[in-house]
Amino acid sequence: MTADNDHLDRLHAATAAARTRLEAAGADRWEIFAKASMSREVEVAPGRPLRVLHVEETGVAVRTFDTNRAGFAAASGLEEDASRRAINGALNTATPVAADPLPPERLLGLTESRPPRQLPATGWATHAGQELEKAVASLGSGHLRLRRAVLQEGDFAWVLVTGDGWVARHQDTSTSLMAEVEVVGERTGVWRDWLHIDNPDDFDLEAAASQITDRALLIQRRVATDSGLRDLLLHPEVAAQLVAAIAPLFLPVREEEDQLSNLLDSHGRLATPALTLVDDRCDPEAPITGPCDGEGFPSRRTVLLDEGVPRYRLASFRDGVRCSEPTRGGALRVSYRDYPATGTANLAVDCRAGVPAAELLGSADHALYLLRPLAAIEVDFATDTYRMIASGVWLDGPRVRGWHPVVELQGSLGRLLRRIEAVGNDRRWFQTHRGFIGAPTMLVRRQPVIG
Amino acid sequence: MRGPPRPEPPLDARWLDALSQNCGELRGGGARFEDLYLEQRLEVKAAVTAGELEIETCRLEGAAARWRSPSRVILHARTGISTTAIGELLSRHADKVPMPSTRLIPAPEMDPPRGWMEWARSLTQRLAPFQGLVRYISRRAAVVRAEGWTPIATPALIRVERRGDPSSALLAVWGHPMLATWLEQLFEDMPAKTWAAPPGTRLPVLFAAGTAGVYLHEAVGHMAESDLARTGASPLTALLGATVSTTSLEVIDDPTRTDLAGAFDYDDEGVKAAPVTLIRNGIFEGFLCDREGGRHLHCDAGRGRRAAWSQPPVARLSNLTITPGTAHPQDLESDLEHGLVVTRIGGATVDPVSHRIVLRIERGWEVRHGRRRRPLAPCELTGNVLETLANIDPRIGADATPDWRLGWCVKDGVPLPTGSEAPSLLVDRLEVL
Repeated sequence: MTADNDHLDRLHAATAAARTRLEAAGADRWEIFAKASMSREVEVAPGRPLRVLHVEETGVAVRTFDTNRAGFAAASGLEEDASRRAINGALNTATPVAADPLPPERLLGLTESRPPRQLPATGWATHAGQELEKAVASLGSGHLRLRRAVLQEGDFAWVLVTGDGWVARHQDTSTSLMAEVEVVGERTGVWRDWLHIDNPDDFDLEAAASQITDRALLIQRRVATDSGLRDLLLHPEVAAQLVAAIAPLFLPVREEEDQLSNLLDSHGRLATPALTLVDDRCDPEAPITGPCDGEGFPSRRTVLLDEGVPRYRLASFRDGVRCSEPTRGGALRVSYRDYPATGTANLAVDCRAGVPAAELLGSADHALYLLRPLAAIEVDFATDTYRMIASGVWLDGPRVRGWHPVVELQGSLGRLLRRIEAVGNDRRWFQTHRGFIGAPTMLVRRQPVIG
Repeated sequence: MRGPPRPEPPLDARWLDALSQNCGELRGGGARFEDLYLEQRLEVKAAVTAGELEIETCRLEGAAARWRSPSRVILHARTGISTTAIGELLSRHADKVPMPSTRLIPAPEMDPPRGWMEWARSLTQRLAPFQGLVRYISRRAAVVRAEGWTPIATPALIRVERRGDPSSALLAVWGHPMLATWLEQLFEDMPAKTWAAPPGTRLPVLFAAGTAGVYLHEAVGHMAESDLARTGASPLTALLGATVSTTSLEVIDDPTRTDLAGAFDYDDEGVKAAPVTLIRNGIFEGFLCDREGGRHLHCDAGRGRRAAWSQPPVARLSNLTITPGTAHPQDLESDLEHGLVVTRIGGATVDPVSHRIVLRIERGWEVRHGRRRRPLAPCELTGNVLETLANIDPRIGADATPDWRLGWCVKDGVPLPTGSEAPSLLVDRLEVL
């Protein structure tokens, strides 16, 4: 399984056929995006047959602009029919626009990206899943069991061609693991973890099993509840949800709808100096990499929050024009089916000055360690409020005092962000409703815990 | 209301007849051929952004072949449903693929129904202040097995999303006679002064306006799905034949209700759709099974559903309906000393391990001495599956009402359209989260 030159050849052939058809149609400006991906997913669930899923997906998307009308359509496949459907769809449903949504060629460019990662050898996923099952049982001393593990490996290639003759291409692979563990004989919930595996050759199964089981092991204690102003420790998954909740602050909005100023303190600070957020599309270890964004702007590292101070916003070309925001290569194509929309690719907390997570855990006295969110963190930028429902454990120093199955926190979002005292150096990647987010453990001082 | 959707196979019937006959000869790698799923899908999205109308169309087609051996289940899926694509897909596992010799006649292009685009245009104008969007989703599908092939008919759906504060969404069958009424409800603003129920309070809750369907979708629908039942993750697993609720409660999963979003005439494994009674006279009576679950639980299959051609079928509920009783909804409300009336639920979850339900309430009322006192602020209500079922009041309302908020149900990250219809239902105690 590899998105080899054969696939790139097919993609180039598909874009060439589409180009001929668009030129014949007389479209003024246009852009073609063609993608091929293959994925293999293996599910290991104790007591059930192995499930193996092989999916090959291809498709073409077309954007057009002609006499102040813009269109977009996508169709599956790389054959002549797919190009025809996409082009007809874009031209037939084009609507009047004030500005050309296609970026000019002079803004397009490519950043050098690392060569495609290696895919694991055949049989690796099945072996890894079975070994993980043993490792989880061993680490949990029989108290924990693997509910299921899904190992996904895949490769993809895409080609972007504009009517100006500009061409970009990229191919890469991805490997990930989703694992669910549960406590044997107890109804304390499923603990789900997702791991981005940068290099399967270096994948440490024992470390992964430890990471997957650590939270489930912590809650094997008696239930304890508390309330009041308390120090918080956010597990990386909870921290990632918090970053996802504030991500819209770094996307373009029209001036009259901009609520960022509601959240800034008198020094123009949104968060504590401990917090720096970046969207890094050049990070070779991040889940999404490539030479350019979804429209052809060179990939770059964009600082969104610089030591607590908002710095830049991401925008697609269309959104940037509409909101008078400079475009910084902020377009994302989740699939060929989607319009290249503004979005974060690898939104991450900068952890270069992070401290070891164990140090953070030991530094808070009588703190609530939030282990997992039970719902998306709600934020209201207009009223500067947040609400979080999570599950956690109460710590007395480094000792676990008890499990708080459902705890609610709410208060000022600005105060929450400005009371982040330190971030850990244990950054992990999570899939959230805002895309991939890399977050470490965080220490937050004195937040109102409702109970 | 338009009639039931007409089955339209994505490929011509004669060719599929021939393919099905040939599928009996497929062998490969010690696994036997299970089925071939073919799908065409059309999705159209319309939105107004910065005063400009944007329309995006997406036409998808793909196929998936399933193979099974005692130790593994294998699914190969790929884009395309041409003869070449299907032949290549089957040859990935089969030693020899005898394709039909007759010429394949492609099905006509899928398009939105007449009038949809104009309707969407006018609706998007209204949605513009809310950054809303309108989607049209339709599909043609067929399942080919060695013993024959089956076209699958599902109703075309529309989804309307209203963003901002509060965000809300509607999912309905295109052409439903209540659509205009539901859209008006979608556009209703939040009441200015609301009452926030104190967290930790336990109160009786009257589910009105069809919202009981969402609650029972979680408490009974998901818990009756065969994958959860087989792994022991459902508290209902051991309670088949046992009384779990009031004797006046009857809960049915009914995919033949073509006015509701979860309808189909055959499931995505080619099994004819039929209603399944889950609870009758308060007794838990059956599971919702795909073919695999049916084999293990010795129940009829018919709930194997796929989110797309690239996804394997899994046991999922369709349209959950609660049989109306005889109680007047006003009587149920006027008997409340202090409680809540819920009129709109924005979302709900059930944890298959802790068996805890969380209902996200969008609209409702505080009731004191039988009278609506203050509009309820959005909140979450929670309770254990079995406890809440046991706490359902025997008086079931006579006002069966479809719910337009249930919409896409997501399980293990896989979304599927579902529907529900329910009368007013009183649960004696739920906790405010």
